[in-house]
Amino acid sequence: MSQFLQAVINGVALGGMYTVLVLGFSIIWGVLGVINFAHGEFVMLGAYMAWVANEAMDVDPFIAAPVVFAIMTLIGFVLQKVLVNRVIDRPHLVSLLVMFAVSIIMANGMKLVFSADFRRNETALEGSWQLLDGVTIPVTKFFVLLFALSILVALTLFLQRTRLGKSIRAAAQNREAAQIVGIDVRWVYAITFAICIGLTGLAGALISPILSVQPFQGPPLTVKAFAITAMSGLGSIKGALGGAMILGLIEAGLALYISGIGTNLAVISSFVILVVALVLRPQGLFGGLRPVDATAT
Amino acid sequence: MIDFLRSPQLRKVGLVIAGLILVYLVVLPLRESTNNAQLFTLTLMFTNVGVAINWNLTGGFTGYIDFGHAVWFGIGAYVTAILMSNDSIGPEIGWPPVPSIIAGAMVAGVLAALIGRATMRLKGPYFSIAMLGTFLAVREIVRVSAPLTGGGVGLTLPPYLNRPLFYYLQLGLVVALIAFSWWLRNTRFGSSLVAIREDEVGAEMRGINATRAKVAVFSFSGMSTGLFGALFAYQFTFVDPDVAFVELRTVDAVMGTMLGGIGTVVGPIIGAVALYWLKEILWANFLDFHLIVQGVLLIIIVLYVPKGLAGIFDPRVTSITSLWTKWFGGESEDAYNDAESAMSNNGAASEGSEASATAELAELEADR
Repeated sequence: MSQFLQAVINGVALGGMYTVLVLGFSIIWGVLGVINFAHGEFVMLGAYMAWVANEAMDVDPFIAAPVVFAIMTLIGFVLQKVLVNRVIDRPHLVSLLVMFAVSIIMANGMKLVFSADFRRNETALEGSWQLLDGVTIPVTKFFVLLFALSILVALTLFLQRTRLGKSIRAAAQNREAAQIVGIDVRWVYAITFAICIGLTGLAGALISPILSVQPFQGPPLTVKAFAITAMSGLGSIKGALGGAMILGLIEAGLALYISGIGTNLAVISSFVILVVALVLRPQGLFGGLRPVDATAT
Repeated sequence: MIDFLRSPQLRKVGLVIAGLILVYLVVLPLRESTNNAQLFTLTLMFTNVGVAINWNLTGGFTGYIDFGHAVWFGIGAYVTAILMSNDSIGPEIGWPPVPSIIAGAMVAGVLAALIGRATMRLKGPYFSIAMLGTFLAVREIVRVSAPLTGGGVGLTLPPYLNRPLFYYLQLGLVVALIAFSWWLRNTRFGSSLVAIREDEVGAEMRGINATRAKVAVFSFSGMSTGLFGALFAYQFTFVDPDVAFVELRTVDAVMGTMLGGIGTVVGPIIGAVALYWLKEILWANFLDFHLIVQGVLLIIIVLYVPKGLAGIFDPRVTSITSLWTKWFGGESEDAYNDAESAMSNNGAASEGSEASATAELAELEADR
């Protein structure tokens, strides 16, 4: 029983981590229709920023996170203006390949600057709380979950209540109609991309004490973000939470019940979930900003 | 100028040049001055060309962009290594090379057929990411199955360093693959693959069994890439997860094909060769930057030269920008018109609705 409870706690904690990981990817896809293949690399970039802040100025990653968010938002804005704007109206293949190239450039650029060594960030919020006999709560992941939930609430309020948020949703649902009612779609896209890259970098800063930081950590994270997004619906915020929790619980269960290689099965499980979810329920479990159309015929 | 570049005469000149290059490559190992290092470099180049051609069969002809193609290479390499190795880490089977290599290719082909049946139900980016996931998952499985694969330590094969043999083997394989790819493009089956790429629903409505066709070509390309992987393991005499399963191998196949011209027969050949030598130059001059430069190059190709080098010579090349508009971006009207014009031009010929049929007909008339 205590083992099951522990698996659930670990799964929810992991799910919190995946929620903050997946949000930026999901919204970029839902609103811009661009699959950010370099998503994992933006996470990596944010993680390195937090690590540098920790090494150089001894700043806790949880305190550095808002600063990372600001810097990454700026980077996202510039990248959108320079590159992403050119591929938005083009077929998926073009944006996929361009972002694929961006991911290669980023991973190898970071390797050039920081070498391929594994780094681990340190935070004051570490260790674990004893809940019951044999059941513990991992402290870092608990605070990541808190962060994730507050980001979710903030993002939902932003999208539902503010004028800009409403324009973003309008542009995602029907671009032409949004333009007709006077929304500057280009500007909305730029802001959306910038905020989402900021969120992605923030996620990197938050998970830097949990996952080791290294230049080639990106691709598995991209696959996970893709699996969760495709499973839960493009741009759906509650879907991101639900999908992340499902993946987190499955992975935590695997890790706890299959000793030894369970954690290595994590990548495999997200792949299997991806294919099964797409084939069985291509529109996503929770419904999103735009419908998914994944099967070939 | 364009007319000259696309004239049939120039095509004949190109064929003669290709023949001369082939003769040169055949006699090269016989020359005294050729050393093993040069042969090894060229053998690796053949591997890259072969993998690019295989990638083009699914990515170019059928339009299913595979971001995990290197998985078949790794599987071929590992099956061969497991069967041949006498390492105490592995299962110590110790088969002779020829059956091990054939088994490597076969296992890759069978797995490609099985995995393809699931992943090829997905389209566009979903397929691409599912294949990337397959790649990462298989590498992870290989890493954790230590009793069979040696885990992260890897396996050592009995050494057999006959460079000219491997050189001729892979040269022959590449020539056969080029011939196969040309033949395939000119058969009805090849046309139905292109029809699937252009309009899968339309192709099915015209009686093409799309699932069977695409899984068949996918498992062939998996088997063929597995064969290159098997040969690679034997001549490299060592495999570990990071040697056999390299993301860069997929990147090179995608980039080479894009550079040469996706969906053409000559595209992956000239593209992969050009990319190989470009990489050698980048390696020699900017070792640390070479992948960054490669990434920038990929962006430039995708945005500014979407038809690749072959697009200069051949008007029939489908630009990658129009490749997926039929699936995404709501340009279904275009697909309709293409299909209709193809039907009216093709008349009774039931070769499927190739959108490029108009261009092909125009060329036939020009030849006459």
